[in-house]
Amino acid sequence: MAPDAEELTRLVHHVSEVAAGPETRYDGGQLTVSTEEAMAVLASPALAQTQVSWVSPGQSARIVKVLDAVEPRTKGPGPTGGGVFPGFVGPDKAQGRGSTHVLRGAAVVAAGYLPRAQEAVVDMSGPAAGLSPLGGTHNLVVEFTPAEDAAWEDVDKALRRGVLALAARLAEAAIDAEPDIIEVFPTPGARSTNTSRPRIGALTNLQTQGTFKDVFVYGRSFSGGLPTLLDPGEIDDGAVVSGQFGHPSLKNPTFMHQNHPVVAALRARHGTDLDFAGVVIAPEPVALGHKELVSAHAARLCAAAGWDAAVVTKEGGGNADGDVALKMDALEDAGVTAVGLFAEMAGPDGTGPPIVVPPERATAMVSTGNYDERLVLPAVETALGGSEIALLDRPATDELELPMAVIYCALSPLGWGHLTCDPGTANEVVL
Amino acid sequence: VSRVVHYINQFFAGVGGEDAASTPPTSRPEPIGPGRKLAQLLGDEHDVVATVFCGDDHAAGEPAAIAEIVSLVQEAQPDLLVAGPAFTSGRYGLACARVAAAAHAAGIEVVAAMHPDNPGLDEAAPAPVIESGEVGRTMGPSLERLAAAARKLLAGEELTSDDGRIGPVPRRSRRADANAATRAVDLALARLGGDRDATEVPLPRFDRVSPAAPIDDPSAVTIALVTEGALVPDTNPDKLESARATKWLRYSIEGSDSLAPGEWRSVHGGFSTVWAHEDPHRILPLDAARRLEAEGAIGDIHGAYLVTAGNGTSVGNARRFGIEWAADLRHSEVRAAVLTAT
Repeated sequence: MAPDAEELTRLVHHVSEVAAGPETRYDGGQLTVSTEEAMAVLASPALAQTQVSWVSPGQSARIVKVLDAVEPRTKGPGPTGGGVFPGFVGPDKAQGRGSTHVLRGAAVVAAGYLPRAQEAVVDMSGPAAGLSPLGGTHNLVVEFTPAEDAAWEDVDKALRRGVLALAARLAEAAIDAEPDIIEVFPTPGARSTNTSRPRIGALTNLQTQGTFKDVFVYGRSFSGGLPTLLDPGEIDDGAVVSGQFGHPSLKNPTFMHQNHPVVAALRARHGTDLDFAGVVIAPEPVALGHKELVSAHAARLCAAAGWDAAVVTKEGGGNADGDVALKMDALEDAGVTAVGLFAEMAGPDGTGPPIVVPPERATAMVSTGNYDERLVLPAVETALGGSEIALLDRPATDELELPMAVIYCALSPLGWGHLTCDPGTANEVVL
Repeated sequence: VSRVVHYINQFFAGVGGEDAASTPPTSRPEPIGPGRKLAQLLGDEHDVVATVFCGDDHAAGEPAAIAEIVSLVQEAQPDLLVAGPAFTSGRYGLACARVAAAAHAAGIEVVAAMHPDNPGLDEAAPAPVIESGEVGRTMGPSLERLAAAARKLLAGEELTSDDGRIGPVPRRSRRADANAATRAVDLALARLGGDRDATEVPLPRFDRVSPAAPIDDPSAVTIALVTEGALVPDTNPDKLESARATKWLRYSIEGSDSLAPGEWRSVHGGFSTVWAHEDPHRILPLDAARRLEAEGAIGDIHGAYLVTAGNGTSVGNARRFGIEWAADLRHSEVRAAVLTAT
């Protein structure tokens, strides 16, 4: 058998309409899901009951207590999805080559109570809709009741496995459909000798702070690990899966890794004004000594891989700023230009110091908006994920004044959003 | 003739130093201390009609103090309130900044003065602050700059950095054309292209705090336990936030030797609290402190502990908590504190 070409092909199927129906199928942009089948895929001894329902962009609807979100993708038919989400749905074998079906415009979203999860809100219409990637997708929301004696850790595991399997199952419905777009991404290689284009890579920190604040690589917790080079195609195929439910606006759900915005930006310009040098993932440990070790190691790895510059990203709040800052300084010391993405934590009026732990020697920073700024969400007709907003003890359908911090992925540390901050005296949020 | 009210602390009002730091808000219908020089500099068209002063601890530590001060200011019907100069004095600067912010919110024209390193600076916004010297002996030039700014404000003009205006300019969110990832790649290319300064976020300036001198004899002083570990009575009666705390709380440990599991819990949102609930001393080491107290290694343990949740806290709030804790503990004659962080 010939070896796989060193590239990944994404077969993209657009989802423009969704429905519940007797069988799961995809036809000309319409995705129909059998509720019964979905519940069978989600079934687990740790879950007493599950419920799935669609919400779509423009609806007067809100999802609260949002946990993970996953874009439907598969690499082949059957329960192992041709190897997609390796370590969860597929076996833990290296992925990132061959072809992958993508249902673009849809997401499977888990919502409900888990310990340590912080209240996270998605609005499907109104001013907050554009601040979250899920405000623009058709979302199959999975709600759940834990089994009576189940440990929360087992509920978390069951949900993760179930949601990933359901995402693979939805994508399987499009396997025989003609794709709307075919995207081919070569695996980043070594430095080419016949170009002077700069080699730029993505250095992506994954939060690793224990159960409910953990990220998985090939099905394993990434805590305790050292930085490693990853083929961006592996991330496309779901090698990185989120189990991190803190800091809603600063969260990188599985959906966001699958659509890694820095990877997308680098791929888009590969061969024109830069060469995409690949992805290095690094854990975000809790102890300072471990943070320093990981940062020094990551910088050496990027330098050894011949990177001229790295875009450094994080997941989480102030603690995670330290991980970006340490890596940026270490990279600059190693001769690699570093750019960091930070959310500002400048207080509600934007007058506080914007970064909690800034770098000392590196100074190139991009702002993804102010965590503390407040916005008013209008009342909505329906809410999924829970009947109350945990922070305010109010009905989830009420008009709510909330800090940006609560809006799911609004300040995406991976760079999905369009927010930035400027000095100015305007009193209104300009979005 | 326009009416000017001047706010100062107990020291510059001539009431006393640390011994008088608890002086409550007081008003006098005349310029006092530096106010006399200020009145001179303002000239005949402006009258300093009242001086309002307050002790540093009272102003920084009593929640109602700022409103009381502003209401005394309002009674004097000012066209302008001038606060300070507070130089680098922390509690005084904080009081000037808060009085300025509250007066501004109440519709009173106001200007404060302090040194750029004063920790109160960030709390004045959006009220303007004019730069002063570092210490009291720069009073002369500091007052001259402040008086010039005051005259400009009374003439209806805006203050700018040309007038010595300092302090934060609010940073506001807006929607950029490209997403942050694309802008980050642009920034990397700009840096590689030789632009060593390009950035969207200026490096923030942080205070450098000099540690207090060590205590000569710990067995002779009161020591407080304080924590950002969000340990509260089990029902969380005062609803401490698990993240982005806007307040701190005080709970009595008078007469208790230990913290019983089940009676206390940590509401901190940044870590797993299972082990804190198993043994609350993992957050607040009252057991060890009582042992040291019994051995005579330390004098005694302060009767209450102070607590907040340090998780996603803005630097502005964290700084405010620190200043308020310091004022509160000094007020209780605590000489040292053990701050447990998580």
